[in-house]
Amino acid sequence: MLTVNIKYAFFLFLGLLFLVCACEPQKDSPIDRFDRKALLQNLADNLIRPAYQDVRNEANTFHTAVQAFSTNPSETTLADLQQQWVATYTQWQYVNAYNFGPAGEAGLSKSLVEEVGTFPVNTLKMEEAMAVGTWNLNDFNRDIRGFLAVEYLIFGINQNNSAVLSAFASNPFRSQYLLELSDNIRQRLNAVQSEWSGPYAVSFVENAGTDVGSSTAQLYNEFVRSYESLKNFKLGLPLGKRTGQTQSEPLLVEAVFSGQSLPMLKAHFTAIENIWYGRSSKIGQDGLGFRAYLAAVEGGNALIISTESQMTALRAALNAVPESPALSQQIVGNPAPVEALYIECSKMTRFFKSDLSSLLGIAITFSSSDGD
Amino acid sequence: MTALFNTLIRWLKTPISIAPLATLRVVLGAMLLFSTLRFVALGWVDDHYVCPDFHFTYFGFDWVRPLPALGMYVVHGLLIVSSLCVMLGLYHRLAALLQWLLFSYTELIDLTYYLNHYYFVSIVCGLLLLVPAHRAYSLDVLRRPQIRLSQTPRWTIFIFQLQLGIVYTYAGFWKINADWLLEALPLKIWVPANDHLPIIGGLFALKITPWLFSWAGMLYDLTIVAWLSWSRTRVWAYATVVFFHALTGIMFQIGVFPLVMMGATLVFFSEKWHQRLWQTLSQWTSRFFAKKTPKNALLGSKPLRFQRLMGALLVLHVTFQLLFPWRYLLYPGSVFWTEEGYRFSWRVMLMEKAGTATFYVKDSQTGREGEVLNGDFLNPHQEKQMAMQPDMVLQFAHFLKKHYAQKGISNPSVRAEVYVTLNGRPSQLLLDPHLDLTKISDNWSHKTWILDAAQQ
Repeated sequence: MLTVNIKYAFFLFLGLLFLVCACEPQKDSPIDRFDRKALLQNLADNLIRPAYQDVRNEANTFHTAVQAFSTNPSETTLADLQQQWVATYTQWQYVNAYNFGPAGEAGLSKSLVEEVGTFPVNTLKMEEAMAVGTWNLNDFNRDIRGFLAVEYLIFGINQNNSAVLSAFASNPFRSQYLLELSDNIRQRLNAVQSEWSGPYAVSFVENAGTDVGSSTAQLYNEFVRSYESLKNFKLGLPLGKRTGQTQSEPLLVEAVFSGQSLPMLKAHFTAIENIWYGRSSKIGQDGLGFRAYLAAVEGGNALIISTESQMTALRAALNAVPESPALSQQIVGNPAPVEALYIECSKMTRFFKSDLSSLLGIAITFSSSDGD
Repeated sequence: MTALFNTLIRWLKTPISIAPLATLRVVLGAMLLFSTLRFVALGWVDDHYVCPDFHFTYFGFDWVRPLPALGMYVVHGLLIVSSLCVMLGLYHRLAALLQWLLFSYTELIDLTYYLNHYYFVSIVCGLLLLVPAHRAYSLDVLRRPQIRLSQTPRWTIFIFQLQLGIVYTYAGFWKINADWLLEALPLKIWVPANDHLPIIGGLFALKITPWLFSWAGMLYDLTIVAWLSWSRTRVWAYATVVFFHALTGIMFQIGVFPLVMMGATLVFFSEKWHQRLWQTLSQWTSRFFAKKTPKNALLGSKPLRFQRLMGALLVLHVTFQLLFPWRYLLYPGSVFWTEEGYRFSWRVMLMEKAGTATFYVKDSQTGREGEVLNGDFLNPHQEKQMAMQPDMVLQFAHFLKKHYAQKGISNPSVRAEVYVTLNGRPSQLLLDPHLDLTKISDNWSHKTWILDAAQQ
């Protein structure tokens, strides 16, 4: 009798385990399920694809402007070119965080952000290349290509347009280099954009897990990387915040030649906010983003509150930085508002970098973890 | 008392079939072979050992250093060969010794990669050295038929059962805490994160599921050894072992762990079961194992001194296994927060913890302070592990002092702002962000510099 009882207890215990598999979820059962596929769909349809389309279009327009400039270099065509560069590079900020999938590393090619968004550029190497007329836009010298190499060519140092024009006039290789740089950017963006218009978008939405290779994990990892690059490279490094720096290095800001660092910073932060809110930059309407995902998990609301209060503080600090002079000059002359912005950025890191992934159970590294 | 002791000794020395031991040897060798091949194939030799500039060391084992790339590949190559030899029972003593030393060496290089199941594998490899696992169904027997045994003292198999029992029971026991049972944490975070899985995914979205899993997991770990030990329930219990570990293997990124447990628990099966297994196998591979049954021989009586030494060693090991996990009681504060006494205690998957650690290095002469990019020195996994574990934060701070002193910063002081989130609660400071960590050294005593976890 005793053995029968123990056996019975055991089967009861077994049943407990299998129960989970046996019953079907009912429509009205207390399911609290967040639809990650819908989040990915929203991101793909309303944020990522439009952003890549926009930057691709801008880059194509920019290339046309480069062609117009090189056939007829003048104050006017240069001004058009510069204006279009600002438009294109502003749009670039909106894809900075989508540096995965078709924009990720492939073979010898690094990620898109590294291939076309590297800064600071090496102007010395660029001048050497143009002097002899040979360059390679596919090797590891990523500091002589991309948007910011183009920026150097068309804005020059001190934004002296007549100096820029005479530099182009004195060396025919300069114009050719500019054409090739612009074409290189255009091609890379077109390649990524066409992938996103094709089957990749579907597989992105289908890969709806939370494991390390999942779309959510890739999106999250690149979101954090993008945010940290804003804080560390666009602000920290020029401010001289890194260990080993003995002073500020204002020339390390992004878009130093055009003096557009601050607008670019603002666009970058807006792009980060958009991902958080799942906000389409076209319609301006919020959809499923990390915020909505958090709202669906227990304890998520506390993190939403602290993150958004920090976002408000960060935005306020960003707006407190004067529009002019250029950021690089402010770092020298009036660093206090920029320093304050940096501090607000630092306070945000933990919410994005560890609290968010921990609450959502997103795997961020490949290594095995402890078994049960 | 003496009588009881003598009975126990007699029971432990009772000869039983050697077949389970041979199975264990094959399973362990195969497991390590597969695990090492997987490790190499995933490129982890480079990622874990070659690329990082800095390695976190185990307390007291900071003399264990990685070899240059070629050396690390040779180590893994040798590990593959020795695992294969252990599996086949070829030059077993040497192979098993190499397997144990090499595996333990790779595990001891960097604290970042500490996993309880690696610790378990290391222990089992060590125990395998003490038993005659190669004296049946092995190539060694084929080479030297005179070593063949059909029986072995019971302790040689019981020690593995005991070890597994300790692992499961402690793992279950530590699950008895408020977060696990009353809040269903961290499973409440982890389970819904798996709701995309086919068939079972829908159930992971149910509110009740994390509680069900928490309680079932606790009961399972606490009682599975009993179910496995009892012949009437064994087959069913093993079915749940397969089910349970397969399930967690699908849900979590836990690598080879499910296979390790599915393989190791075979040691609970009866002598007869193992004998039948080997008979079947022998028929397939009659060329190697010759059809004749092993000699009905028992391990020759070793000298008394040797027996006593062996006995003392095993008693010492078991005592350590039983007591060491309790050391956390000697430290104030929560073991989850301070992690003082957390490792080597079979606390598995108990918490969801993550942190963000920002280090600041100050030149004592110029007073200039700079922020460190952890990624300059650590790979993502190292950074992730370091950012929530106080002793690793301390190690990294000391490394930074040394590194930047060489870079010309005079007498650097290092402070760290470390925010840690535990089981999804809002993150809070792990330690005083103004504290100069270079003035603190790690030791066995309580780390008074860890801030208390606020009551939440």
